[in-house]
Amino acid sequence: MSTPETAILGSRALATITAAARTMYPHDALSDDVYARVGEKLAETARDDSGAAQMIEDGVSALNGDRAFAELSADEQLETLKGIEGSDFFELVRSTAVVEVYSDQRTWQLVGYEGPSFDKGGYINRGFNDLDWLPDPEAAS
Amino acid sequence: MSPQHDGRRPASRFAADDSDVIVVIGSGAGGGTLANELCQRGVKVVLIEAGRHHQPEDFVNDEWASLNQLAWLDERTTSGSWRIAEEFPNLPAWTCKTVGGTTVHWAGCCVRFKDWEFRIRSEHGPIDGASLLDWPIGLSDLEPYYDKSEDRLGVTRTNGIPAPPANNNFKVMGNGARRAGYKGVSTGRMAFNTVPRDGRSATIQDGFNYQGDKQRAHWSTLTAEIPEAEKTGRLDLRPESMAIRIEHDDSGKVIGVLYVDAEGNEQRQKARVVCVACNAIETARLLLNSGSSLFPDGLANSSGQVGRNYMRHLTGSVFATFDKPVRMYRGETMAGIVTDESRNDPGRGFVGGYYMQLLSLGPSFLSTFLSPRAWGRDFAKIMEQYDHMAGMWLVGEDLPQADNRVTLNRDVRDQFGQPVPNVHVDDHPNGTAMREHAYAAGESVYAAVDALRTFRVSPYPTTHNLGTARMSARPEDGVVNEFGRAHDVPNLFVSDGSVMTTAAAANPTLTIVALALRQADYIEQQLKAGAL
Repeated sequence: MSTPETAILGSRALATITAAARTMYPHDALSDDVYARVGEKLAETARDDSGAAQMIEDGVSALNGDRAFAELSADEQLETLKGIEGSDFFELVRSTAVVEVYSDQRTWQLVGYEGPSFDKGGYINRGFNDLDWLPDPEAAS
Repeated sequence: MSPQHDGRRPASRFAADDSDVIVVIGSGAGGGTLANELCQRGVKVVLIEAGRHHQPEDFVNDEWASLNQLAWLDERTTSGSWRIAEEFPNLPAWTCKTVGGTTVHWAGCCVRFKDWEFRIRSEHGPIDGASLLDWPIGLSDLEPYYDKSEDRLGVTRTNGIPAPPANNNFKVMGNGARRAGYKGVSTGRMAFNTVPRDGRSATIQDGFNYQGDKQRAHWSTLTAEIPEAEKTGRLDLRPESMAIRIEHDDSGKVIGVLYVDAEGNEQRQKARVVCVACNAIETARLLLNSGSSLFPDGLANSSGQVGRNYMRHLTGSVFATFDKPVRMYRGETMAGIVTDESRNDPGRGFVGGYYMQLLSLGPSFLSTFLSPRAWGRDFAKIMEQYDHMAGMWLVGEDLPQADNRVTLNRDVRDQFGQPVPNVHVDDHPNGTAMREHAYAAGESVYAAVDALRTFRVSPYPTTHNLGTARMSARPEDGVVNEFGRAHDVPNLFVSDGSVMTTAAAANPTLTIVALALRQADYIEQQLKAGAL
């Protein structure tokens, strides 16, 4: 594979993957920047693995039929993805997306996860036991 | 503090041809504890470890980054009807490749086996499809070693050590369990400090138990046993050293270990005794890879039992969402247990018991494991409930089956050119029935505190890997005797969970440590008697 890496995943491919990732794990409050991580990660994969590069290229082409995938309505994008569910390309995008989207601090903030704790002194003084809608089960016994 | 702390590697303490040393392969719960115990008794030990010598300062509070730092990710293959073969075909087990082994990501649940769990075979007779065998020892043989182990590990609720406080996730599970009628509900016996002890601090409730404990509040062989052994001057720890083969002489006694060092060079270390503690998959693989004309089916395998009877515990999880916040990730990950279902009551439709134990995952792992390969808006909505979610783990007896086994896959080679292990598992109907019962019990616990929705989560890659070199009274039934000594090879020992004849319901680490302490007593006595 001697293609320059910018051409391995061009802007159309990146836009397609970003839209596909959002369709797979749709959080309306998250910006496209979070989903763009998936294309960046797949570009790395493509750079290291010519077989994967070809699979991504073919998969992106298949998603972009008569109209660009990224321009389709959300329902159309969903139906299009269902049509390729189970393919190697779909699983590559999905398995990359689930890791990238749910390891992003912006997603953590959205779902209410505080991330690394050791540097903040753990939770011993920051609410490890602050749930107040149930009693201490052992004290209650 | 270990001499490797600044990254410098001390020269080997003992010469490669020093045949007076005992070589221990693997530095986890079994190998790390045994190595220290032998050093304390004046024995010279070479401790060979495949992983790097990370220190707690190096650990990262990030699930995927930590997995890539600590987990055993060398290639493996799978087969059989278990869901792992479909969902995680190249990651059958989640164990660690680092100095300290899997104790580094151990949450610390310390549950003793029950007396009847050593003799399921005689309690229930034969069970179709199961290769059941009684242990050659019983609870009374292990009790003194359990006592020592609990003191050594600093287990809460023993030796005057205060109980862990209830965290948010436990308040949900604990109250649900009480309302559902369960009695054995507590924050458990845990191997982390609730008060400073043994030079290690009390927990700051920072979570991240599976990512390595940065503050050393948890016992591990990395932070407790190995530093103690190093103080004796009798430990020669060799990290980044992958054991390839155990070598023997014409008489069938082992004489040393061939390994590949950090620079990729083959090394041979002579030994008086070799103790294998590589976790059940790699222990079986190493024995099978050490075959010869004298041992055509693998070392110490005249019984044909090496690699067979692989057990991984029942496992499964239940998560639930609530209309109020939980924040299950705050605090010690597994400090909570419900013990009622650990009784032996075949009236439930299965033999053996199970525990419900506290569990939380961060969004990174939860998204991968909650419903493998799920996607779409419903899944995303569930994830948005993350901070309103509580979780528990189900762990129970898994019956041994002859064909649930580790074999060598000669079609796939690792970075050292060695055949990779294949792990084959078919679920047994007993385990399937127990899992259904356990899922329903977990759901009833969360329903009792008004869960909005509950989720049955299939087993993760296995952390409890057991049984592939089992103990037996008779040589034809197993691989090692009651002290872990190979039936076929007098100076070869197995020192990890591979020796477990049956799995019991309990998390295995406490028992692995107790067995290592018992084995150390035996080896010392045999050395003194000139029998090794």
